[in-house]
Amino acid sequence: MINYVLRRVLVAVPMLLGAMSIVFFAMRVLPGDPCVAMMGDQATTEALADCTKNLGLNRPLAVQYVDYLWRSLQFDFGNSLRQGYPVSEYISRMFPHTLVLVLAAAVVAALVGIPIGIFSALNRRNPLIDYPLRIFALLGLSMPVFWLGILLLIVFSLRLDLFPLIGGGDLDGAMAMIRSGEVFTQPRDFLAAVGDVLHHLTLPALALGFTLAATVSRLSRSAMLEVISQDYIRTARAKGQRERLVVYKHALRNMMVPLLTIIGIFVAIALTGTVLTETVFTRPGLGKMLVDAIGARDYPLAQGAITVFTMIIIVVNLVVDMLYAVVDPRITYR
Amino acid sequence: MALARRADSLELSVAERAEAARGATRGRLRRWLPVIIGLAMAVIMVVVAAAAPWIAPLSPSAQFADAVLKSPGSVERHLLGTDEFGRDVLSRIIWGARVSLEVGLASVAFAFVLGVPLGIVAGVRRGRVETLVMRCSDMLMAFPTLLLALIIVTALGGSLTNEMLAIGVALTPNFVRLARSLALTIREQDYILAARALGAGQLRVMARHVFPNALYALVVVGTLYIATAIRTEAGLSFLGLGIPPPTPSWGNILSEGRQYIKCCPWITTFSGLAIMVAVLAFNLVGDALRDLLDPRLKGE
Repeated sequence: MINYVLRRVLVAVPMLLGAMSIVFFAMRVLPGDPCVAMMGDQATTEALADCTKNLGLNRPLAVQYVDYLWRSLQFDFGNSLRQGYPVSEYISRMFPHTLVLVLAAAVVAALVGIPIGIFSALNRRNPLIDYPLRIFALLGLSMPVFWLGILLLIVFSLRLDLFPLIGGGDLDGAMAMIRSGEVFTQPRDFLAAVGDVLHHLTLPALALGFTLAATVSRLSRSAMLEVISQDYIRTARAKGQRERLVVYKHALRNMMVPLLTIIGIFVAIALTGTVLTETVFTRPGLGKMLVDAIGARDYPLAQGAITVFTMIIIVVNLVVDMLYAVVDPRITYR
Repeated sequence: MALARRADSLELSVAERAEAARGATRGRLRRWLPVIIGLAMAVIMVVVAAAAPWIAPLSPSAQFADAVLKSPGSVERHLLGTDEFGRDVLSRIIWGARVSLEVGLASVAFAFVLGVPLGIVAGVRRGRVETLVMRCSDMLMAFPTLLLALIIVTALGGSLTNEMLAIGVALTPNFVRLARSLALTIREQDYILAARALGAGQLRVMARHVFPNALYALVVVGTLYIATAIRTEAGLSFLGLGIPPPTPSWGNILSEGRQYIKCCPWITTFSGLAIMVAVLAFNLVGDALRDLLDPRLKGE
């Protein structure tokens, strides 16, 4: 087991370094001098030289590269060119918004996707049930999240006026209350803040969750199909157990193992989804921050955001690999 | 009596066989139907994109000052309404199909040409070559397609060629992986052994034996990646990182229409619908073909 964990970590580390190198070099060939972008065309040569020196851009590329790797591993991504303050601070402020969105979307996706997948698999011989469900999955898979988001905004925000059009709610306020212990002294204010967050979260979570539900339902359908053809299911049926019990007790539990492995893929898709979802709903978050940073040529910020995205994906995959081995003892720790 | 009974059973079996044949036809039709529908949708779209200059009722860049932000049908000339510059939404969507399909097809072709040979070499040669190729592809795989395409397009700047290149590179590791896994199975086959025994070199084995046998599965999965490419292109354009306006692409029509969703939801609705139909068409074809022709690929 220890060997297996070590091996997995050893594979993940060069992957992380490689991915970070790609980010570094891609950002270095960006068109336009960041100093010119920051100070405008009118800046004097001395001012530009000064800026280049301050940002460390006059050092050899190799030195910059090693410096970037070393600092990134300590979550030091330099200062934002536009805002001035540290990128890591910006990221830690935006991260909770993205995390909340991904979690809420995951709940929606699981609640919608897993039952649909199971139902579709159990009724695969009945085209009247299986076909519409599969078409639903295909539609969800084909529907761009930003379009679904706009449709939801048109109907629920503009026409029915039920949900806010932009913003992420008072998440910072709610978190500050947790940290200061005001949750207990002023529970009403805290609930109001949470309510506000949920109010802002509903439509984005539905949009992102629905597109993810399609993937989840397809994967749970095939996971269920695989489990249901196993010998122990036949045994359970043969001993006269009721079909409901067979499904809920035997099939469902075993189905969760293959489903677990998709969490890695799921996080990758969900994080990409947040870039688009946060932009459509004008919600604060890492994705929106990345898009804005690219638009503003704020490359320490963009680099920091992409690096964090990649780190999350690689770490989640690593954790899932390990969880998989824990959950399914049949896996050999090669 | 006996004779009659025999005739009965004969009739029965003939009827049964006919029924079975009809059932088989029905079954075959049912299984092929999604492919046919998807293919028809895809072909229509390709035709529309190719014939845009003749099909589009108006020029995509012509601005009609007398018809700014008109709803569908309110001006007879503009079937799907107009945008903020008084440009015809239908014509723009028809021209936008060109960008989407060009990027979709070209980027997958690029990923195929780059990824498949690498994957086959990795799968057949094994050893250090395989480790090197697979580690590089794993690194690229750490990025979701849109994110990687976004990084590349940011670095190179938004244009049609750069978008194709960015999405193509982002899709390449998928082809490398698939080609390698197919090559790994194929290289163990007897006919490869036979070819080697007849004196075929590595290159010949790869080009004449492994590639043709993997082609089929690669094309099926390639169809699915066309859908991914179209969706990614729309996403990039939506984020303002794709083809710069005024060239219409479905993503940038949608993005521009976003500011007007309050008064004029038709701009975003129709352009988004176009994206969905295109993605759906290729998903439908790829998905159905995969289930139908190559059960090995289920879950790829």
